[in-house]
Amino acid sequence: MNVEIVIVGSGVAAAAVADRILKSKPTTSILVLEAGGKVKMKDFSIYQNYVATGGLPYNEYYDEAPPTRGCKGENRFTGNTEMSLQGSRLMMYGGSTVHWDGYSFRFKPEDFHLYTNTGHGIDWPFSYDHIEPYYGEAEGFLGVSGDSNDPSVPRSTGYPFIPFPYSLEDTLAIEAFDSLGLEYSHLPIARHGITDTTSPTAPCQTTGTCLYCPFGARYNAANTLDDMQTLESYPNLSVRTNAVVEKVIMDSKSRAKGVLYLDKNTGEYVTVEAQTVVIASGTVESPKLLLRSVSSFWENGIGNDHDLVGRNIITHPWITFETTLDRNPLHLQPEMAFPTLVSRHYDSEEEQANGKYVLINPPSTPVINLAQAMQDGKTRKEIDEMVSGKTTIQFNAMFEIFSHHDYQVTNLNRISHLGMIESLLNFNVNPTITNQMKAVEATATEVFKAMGATGPVTTDASWGAHHATCTTRMSDSPELGVVDANLKIHGVDNVYVCSNASFSTLSAVNPTLTLVALSLRLGDRLIGGQ
Amino acid sequence: MIANTSHKSKYDMEALHHPYPYQEELPTQQTMDAMWRLFLAIGEFWEIDADIEAMSSNLVVFMSNRIQVNPTYVAEYANAEEVIDELISELGEAEAYKKLFTDPSANISPPTTKLARARQLVSNEFVALQLALGGFKTFGGAKNYLGYISGANIEGDTPYRTYTKEPK
Ligand SMILES: Cc1cc2nc3c(=O)[nH]c(=O)nc-3n(C[C@H](O)[C@H](O)[C@H](O)COP(=O)(O)OP(=O)(O)OC[C@H]3O[C@@H](n4cnc5c(N)ncnc54)[C@H](O)[C@@H]3O)c2cc1C
Ligand code: SF4
Repeated sequence: MNVEIVIVGSGVAAAAVADRILKSKPTTSILVLEAGGKVKMKDFSIYQNYVATGGLPYNEYYDEAPPTRGCKGENRFTGNTEMSLQGSRLMMYGGSTVHWDGYSFRFKPEDFHLYTNTGHGIDWPFSYDHIEPYYGEAEGFLGVSGDSNDPSVPRSTGYPFIPFPYSLEDTLAIEAFDSLGLEYSHLPIARHGITDTTSPTAPCQTTGTCLYCPFGARYNAANTLDDMQTLESYPNLSVRTNAVVEKVIMDSKSRAKGVLYLDKNTGEYVTVEAQTVVIASGTVESPKLLLRSVSSFWENGIGNDHDLVGRNIITHPWITFETTLDRNPLHLQPEMAFPTLVSRHYDSEEEQANGKYVLINPPSTPVINLAQAMQDGKTRKEIDEMVSGKTTIQFNAMFEIFSHHDYQVTNLNRISHLGMIESLLNFNVNPTITNQMKAVEATATEVFKAMGATGPVTTDASWGAHHATCTTRMSDSPELGVVDANLKIHGVDNVYVCSNASFSTLSAVNPTLTLVALSLRLGDRLIGGQ
Repeated sequence: MIANTSHKSKYDMEALHHPYPYQEELPTQQTMDAMWRLFLAIGEFWEIDADIEAMSSNLVVFMSNRIQVNPTYVAEYANAEEVIDELISELGEAEAYKKLFTDPSANISPPTTKLARARQLVSNEFVALQLALGGFKTFGGAKNYLGYISGANIEGDTPYRTYTKEPK
């Protein structure tokens, strides 16, 4: 088989690159190879199943839990902290955006100069101003609702859709932020709004079942791929599921011939020859693919002459702070499945050396579950008391982590239930991170105090690889990173890594808007033949 | 390193998430009537302040969707009918539903008794549905709820309760 471009993985990165190229050159032959299978989207019975039982239709495409005594499990973790893979990515048609939350933040200008500003990590090979126009396009691609007048990050274009107003549940946090003098803004979120142009995507109906959106209003790459194959006329676009790419095949040190994949439907290995190989298989799988693509040209794996492929892996801790309030006079309760309020006050240049952070008022606070209460047999009186009386409140935080050479992901000699090679992941919470955590905890305690909370504050940090980055990081020189400013592997002419893996640093915010900006930019580069 | 995976047979592939083709077999009218009475009883027991009568077609669609996702629901609805009939003949109508809704033993998961199956797979699901169809407004006056189709984000007509004081 012979194509112009083969893309490994079918997540948002793949969808954005392919969409960009095909919009400009509709006859380009593109083959997308996806290791996982496909799940039906926008199906009302699946949606009702979710409403009734909380059951999701794609659970089989998650990693399994790590091995325990008597349980085979998947993937191994070393270091003092497990950067969990289970639940932190989806390996299926559409990839991880099938279940993402859709927070769509731009990085701040200082994020592109971490090393210069602080001595941590490296700098990005370009500045915010260079990527700024692509941020605008990425917001259009993902359909982001946000506040075009939000001053927290410079912007030359508005959001495609108006922001979701602050919810009543934001009251306590807004008043606390006001009293502490903390800046805050509307959280930009990839939910389609009302538009006066024709769009295949329906506007969000605030049904609050976003892990399976019945309307497709929350951005999901599976819907983009479906639309590209059904609504557009792209005769040479093909998406193949259950196709696990095993290896990139090199013709010479600087040129790939194509890829070898396992067709899980037939058990056969298939070679695809391609002029360009785009690896868009996520932060964990992209470096693993390069590492196992050993040849006489690249004895340690493609792009790995400086032992950087798979190194430096970092992610955000997702921290949930919790305490109690004596009363809930406004009867605040979860009305939404996504947040509307964020504070980027500490996501600032002043905090950069210590680890910048964001504070998010989650839609799940106060923690009140009416259905659960009724199903547990609570009486009307008990539920009324639950809604107006003592209640648990929460908020979330994420902070920037700095890369370390010892943080690493590699291939493990075991095959997962999805027929993919498992991962060995090493990560440590070091004293720097512990100190960062303490600073965020101190802020959380102040905010809760300002909210009038009375109970003790508990902290729960989860270290999922949801926002894992940096495993093929971007740099000007091959001594510092794996890919160049165009996402092309240093020393190779036709292999690109289009993934959070290629981020030079992590920043304090979720990665996907930046990933889409980079993907659209890569699309332009490939159209231009670079 | 090359994965040495034996390939899946076509019977192993992607079945879980593909609803079965629509089943011919549907609950009998008698069962449908019993399920509607159960749905009304939920509203009465928790004094739900909503137009429950207007939800009858939603219940029918919901039940057929449940059967489409999992055909064993035909049997679950028949079981719930049988359990409710038996409880009513033993305890009278009000106490029968009270037992179904509140008996802690019926909520032990996984459900192993007929009563527990009726509670967890039928009654509890109807509770979730009734809340999502607007019943949630009874408890504290919220405008939106997870599962409720509240509408689009229109300026001046936000589909959920908002913070009204002008922020700084
Ligand atoms: C619960 C959750 C919530 C999140 N919320 C947010 C959020 O609010 N905002 C945000 O910015 N980000 C969020 N993220 C992160 C976001 O989902 C990712 O940044 C984004 O989806 C990455 O896209 P991708 O295309 O690079 O990779 P993926 O979407 O992970 O896709 C990679 C695909 O490649 C396939 N693949 C891997 N290896 C191979 C192989 N060898 N052969 C063939 N195919 C292969 C995989 O099966 C997968 O489908 C969230 C993530 C999680 C888990
Ligand atoms: S709230 Fe919006 S995005 Fe979420 S499920 Fe409903 S329509 Fe979809």
